[in-house]
Amino acid sequence: MSFSAKILLAISLLYSGTFSFASAEEFAPEHLDFFEKKIRPALSEHCYKCHSATSKKLKASLYLDTRSGHLTGGDTGPAIVPGDPEKSLLIEVIRYKDTDMEMPPKSKLPDAVIADFETWVKNGAAWPEEKGPANESNSNSFDLEKRKAEHWCWKPIAPAPRKPGFIDQLIEEKLKDSKLRPAPHAEPVTLLRRLTFDLTGLPPTLEEIETFKKAAAANPDAAIKSAVDRLLASPHFGERWGRHWLDLMRYAESHGHEFDYPIHNAHQYRDYVIRALNADVPYDKFVAEHIAGDLLPKARLNPENQTNESIIATGFWYLGEAVHSPTDVRKDEADRIDNMVDTFSKSFLGLSVACARCHDHKFDAISIADYYALTGFLQSTRRNEYRQDPGKKIAAAISEIEKIAATGNQNLSVKHADPEPIKSQKLLFPNTSRWFPSGHAFGDSYIPALSWIPVKDSITRHAVYDSGRYGEKQQGTLRTPTFEITDDRVNLYVKGTGQVRLIIDGYFMEVFNGLLFKGTRKNIKTGNKWQWITLAGKDIAQKSGQKAYLEIIDSGPGSIAVKAVCTDHQVPRIEDTLPPNPRAKEIADQLAGKLSGLSGEARKISEAIPNPSATILSVTEGTPENDYVHIRGSHKNLGKEVPRRFLTALGGEKISPPKNASGRLELAEQVVSRDNPLTARVAANRIWHHLFGRGIVPTVDDFGPMGIPPSHPKLLDTLAAALIEGNWSQKELIRTIVLSQTYRQSATPHPDLSPNFLADTDPENILLHKAPVRRLQAEAIRDSMLAISGRLDPKLYGNSVPVHLTSFMQGRGRPRSGPLDGAGRRSIYTSIRRNFLPPMMLAFDMPSPFSSVARRTVSNVPAQALTLMNDPFVVSEAKRWANSTATIKDDKTRIETMFLQAFARPPSPTESKTTLSWIQSHPSKETAWQDVAHSLWNTKEFIFLN
Amino acid sequence: MHCQNFRPASLTRRDMLQQSACGFGAVALSALLAENSGAKTADYNPTNPLAPKKPHYAPKAKNIIFLYMDGGPSQVDTFDYKPLLKKFNGQDPRKAIGKLEPTQFDNIGKVMQSPWTFKQHGESGAWVSDLFPHIAGVADDLTFIKSMTSKFPEHTAANYFLHTGSGLQGRPSMGAWVGYGLGTENQNLPGFVVLNGGLIPPGGLDNFNSGYLPAAYQGSVFNPGNTPVANIKPAGSNPELQRRKLDLMRQLDLSAKERFAGEEQIESAILNYETAFRMQAAVPDLMDLTGESDTVKKMYGLESDFNQTKTFGRQCLLARRLVERGVRFIELTCPGGNGDRWDQHNNLVDGHGKNCKTVDQPIAALITDLKKLGLLDETLVIWTGEFGRTPFAQGGNGRDHNPFGFTTWMAGGGVKPGISYGHTDDWGYKAIENKVEIHDLHATMLHLLGIDHTKSTFRFSSRDMRLTDVHGHILKDILA
Repeated sequence: MSFSAKILLAISLLYSGTFSFASAEEFAPEHLDFFEKKIRPALSEHCYKCHSATSKKLKASLYLDTRSGHLTGGDTGPAIVPGDPEKSLLIEVIRYKDTDMEMPPKSKLPDAVIADFETWVKNGAAWPEEKGPANESNSNSFDLEKRKAEHWCWKPIAPAPRKPGFIDQLIEEKLKDSKLRPAPHAEPVTLLRRLTFDLTGLPPTLEEIETFKKAAAANPDAAIKSAVDRLLASPHFGERWGRHWLDLMRYAESHGHEFDYPIHNAHQYRDYVIRALNADVPYDKFVAEHIAGDLLPKARLNPENQTNESIIATGFWYLGEAVHSPTDVRKDEADRIDNMVDTFSKSFLGLSVACARCHDHKFDAISIADYYALTGFLQSTRRNEYRQDPGKKIAAAISEIEKIAATGNQNLSVKHADPEPIKSQKLLFPNTSRWFPSGHAFGDSYIPALSWIPVKDSITRHAVYDSGRYGEKQQGTLRTPTFEITDDRVNLYVKGTGQVRLIIDGYFMEVFNGLLFKGTRKNIKTGNKWQWITLAGKDIAQKSGQKAYLEIIDSGPGSIAVKAVCTDHQVPRIEDTLPPNPRAKEIADQLAGKLSGLSGEARKISEAIPNPSATILSVTEGTPENDYVHIRGSHKNLGKEVPRRFLTALGGEKISPPKNASGRLELAEQVVSRDNPLTARVAANRIWHHLFGRGIVPTVDDFGPMGIPPSHPKLLDTLAAALIEGNWSQKELIRTIVLSQTYRQSATPHPDLSPNFLADTDPENILLHKAPVRRLQAEAIRDSMLAISGRLDPKLYGNSVPVHLTSFMQGRGRPRSGPLDGAGRRSIYTSIRRNFLPPMMLAFDMPSPFSSVARRTVSNVPAQALTLMNDPFVVSEAKRWANSTATIKDDKTRIETMFLQAFARPPSPTESKTTLSWIQSHPSKETAWQDVAHSLWNTKEFIFLN
Repeated sequence: MHCQNFRPASLTRRDMLQQSACGFGAVALSALLAENSGAKTADYNPTNPLAPKKPHYAPKAKNIIFLYMDGGPSQVDTFDYKPLLKKFNGQDPRKAIGKLEPTQFDNIGKVMQSPWTFKQHGESGAWVSDLFPHIAGVADDLTFIKSMTSKFPEHTAANYFLHTGSGLQGRPSMGAWVGYGLGTENQNLPGFVVLNGGLIPPGGLDNFNSGYLPAAYQGSVFNPGNTPVANIKPAGSNPELQRRKLDLMRQLDLSAKERFAGEEQIESAILNYETAFRMQAAVPDLMDLTGESDTVKKMYGLESDFNQTKTFGRQCLLARRLVERGVRFIELTCPGGNGDRWDQHNNLVDGHGKNCKTVDQPIAALITDLKKLGLLDETLVIWTGEFGRTPFAQGGNGRDHNPFGFTTWMAGGGVKPGISYGHTDDWGYKAIENKVEIHDLHATMLHLLGIDHTKSTFRFSSRDMRLTDVHGHILKDILA
């Protein structure tokens, strides 16, 4: 609630105490007469449609057909303050002064009518005593516990015993109930093709087919097992399953919107995902890293260079869209956080929590308070560009320098003592509030007054943050506590070289386009002099009342130090703010020269520190704060404060977050807790979905009442339990599933089952009486072509290849075009720019990355046929493929090879004959083989799995 | 399961083949789409999502031509005549008008009178400035809404809002909703065509996307030039060769069908090629203007000495040809070359001058031509920007964005010609009478096509989504 709204409420409560019990006699007859003649008819004509007992749908919980309705008011507080039109919301809104709330909504009332309302309120809002119309109770029927009790997804996981073959047993039970039976085994090569695509997203090579055929002839079970081992160990596994994950994370490398500004180094996140899946990082750890990888007590390290892997995951929070010039920056923040909450809840929990942004969830056990309990975590979290420390060399050097500092400080005759700073809400000092350093330059905390800084051989006078404390090379960002902008400026007392940014309501796009945020960033260069630097301007003044913090950035040579921040217009005299500390000089004189040896040592270490590496998109802690319920989703209409906590239905109210932290770490712990039945179920179900084309819960991202309940609940729970008890290993769960008889079935049903019977009993193959036929995903289609043509560059990781632009890809922020063949890299390495998505991928249903997508649509549109028939990429790769087979002189063998490459099977005699005669009658010897290649890629078998 | 309306098994293979054969695009049968993305509409047909569907009630219009004036034309310089601006010209708007809303560029200049002269035209006496001499000539056919409002003062969000009813990226465009609601009559052309004049509006192609609706409904962008649609031109110069390749493909597909146990998805994908093949012919036929008479071409401005008029004239003529071919929703974007679209933050006179010259003659010709051919009655033409412009200057000689009140006009199918609905305050700044929201525009458009906007829903993210979200009122007063 805004301050003025609070006052309004307080005043009206006072007044309502006086007036609401007033009897009719207390109003002068002429005032009552005025009401009946002027006001009641106007209310009836203009307001009752939405604000009375007769309204079809009551708006804003506001009744204007009784006096008490006016006094109690609706969602935004009382409508009138009798006697005071200027303080009456009703009067404010009918005056049409604020476009956020104008009533009646369609047309302004005539000026005379507005004047009548003013008069009426001024005279005490006379209303005769009458029995009010029976107001329908507007009380909310939301009952969270009841809903929780009634829906399956909240119940604990109840697995069946996990004996070998449990999957097949649970599937067959249901088949038997419907008088169905499983299909026979698929042909070995069919299975190999299925496995290779499912696990790596690529077709099997000729050699793999050959080896497998031989092995399968000898011992099919062993052959399959070893193929599965090989495929799970392939580095391409992470590329295939990483792409599934990126769909959930609405992964993109640009912010979309008007100019499609880049998300720098987003590919580091993509590479993190591929590495984590290849390394089979336990899923609970993987999820915890996403939520709070910056806070884990023990970060997972990259085995190659000892850099922090866990923190890279947190970048997912910030992979969404971003707007460069929001006119309402708080709303912009609320929208951004909404996207984060949506991605979080759908991906990790299979819940649509974002449905509760404006009101309690319509169907699920999720309240609006639950929603704002989650947004608080993100209000307390900040976007950060993290700097890695390869080989931990920087940390080692810093610890050496710190040791030297400790030794040196022992020589000091006085202990650290910060002079008592002056108390003012508008003054922030390093030692009076919690600041947030990130990177190595500023250290872990401020340097207290009267400390010796080894590399400078100097004594601090006041508590200070200094990015030069370990030498000039280090980089880092220091963030202040969150404060309220109260004026047209913010000042800091600084020295040195660096940059300062004012981050208002989390808005960070100013680096690209600072329209509406002018003056929020400044380069600082004060030399060796302490001075007040001011960020000022009307763009800041306009954001008065908004929340903000400062970033003090050292991202280049030199260093910057800061001692105070002042949010007032008038900067106080520095003598009063940071009074001189005479002891400092005293000590410095005492020490003069004595520590120069130690200092030299420290300098030497500092100079040997390697240069900083690239930054990584991540998050970090900010000043902890709770959010407030936004009534009907409006940030301008705040309800009660909600403590940060996890969903009530999952026990969130039992644990409160620590006061001095965002609480994300605790949130992560609760998400992956064994008491939470959703995380494991959702993950196991998603794996099943990727292997069968349909989840046990087909609404993969919605386990709520609006989703579809599981077809095999016991199986789902057993798989979830298997995941948890298998140390959350996704690869193990995948192995268990693909080695089942269920997965191994043929796509052709058991011969004893008639088509009519099947059409009646299991038309959609929900019971899995056969292997499902599935279309390949966009990436697999393109990657197959590259693999078959020989163009595939199997390189992993790294900068994205710019997307190849066609003339249809127009618009602002158009990037430079990349090569037609995407440099032969797998599709996951093509850059994903929100406004310039690769058309071939879109045609085959790659989702647009605006929201978490757990299940791609499978469409069948002419653009797909047109792409395969006419797209220059397809045509040129077909040519490359044909050329690569030119060394095979025998036409029949050449045809056979091409069939094997495309379909993992040899042609039937008829197919062989047809193709051969087609080639022989082809008018052009030059292009005949290329045209065969192109035709093979246009057959349906190429893009479908059986 | 939510939706008992769709049971693929109830289709015999013959039904299926027949339906798919007419299908412009068919979502694979086993797609979970129909079953669990909700598709609560009783008649959603996943086999052929673009099959013509029955409207909720008798439609007044069959097609929509949406003339999108990207950047925000100024209402007070075109159709919303405000003499007061002349009186207060050069004064501080904060004194003259009072409290001002924050503007995008926050560079508030003086109250600025229109540099153009307004006159009343036709029997209706509609005010039109001399920027639009040709449109003034058809003023009696137009229905002005002078009280349009938007929620966003910034291009991209306002564009998404105008196109999708939401300021956020990635929601289905109105043309996609129309396709979802009604299907399409011409199975060889997409149901939602964007005739790109050269400027894709801020926000990019997502303005025309299908969002969470099936991809079959997304807008197809037709570019000017020889290859209007991506990959529509057969690869290789010889069409006979393509036919040959497809023959081989078909033979191999036949044998593969067995391997897939007669799976319907495969059948649908095969039929999809037929449609694509027919499209390869239908699109060039559409684009070929040789059959149009010189008089018609001249009327549309195809012989204009101003290049942008030629471009837009061709778009307008193509729009009429698309209407003739039964394409439901046609959107025109602005030609490039006039500076920054209609977005005249400065040099209003030059920018608006050129933009008006670009669209004036072609639009008037389109209205006249449709009327002559008897098509105007069943075609709803809409002219609008994403917002209007401020009645006061931004800096010296431009105007800033103004979402609080601007002018939109409609013509044809089901609206009352020659009227003006709603008005702004005396400054042309804010709508104060019969305020219209974008949601109302959407509700009215759908209504005229016979779709009840509250009933055309699609389940996504556990909600039954609508183009109008939870808003929207049909503008009954402007209906014929």
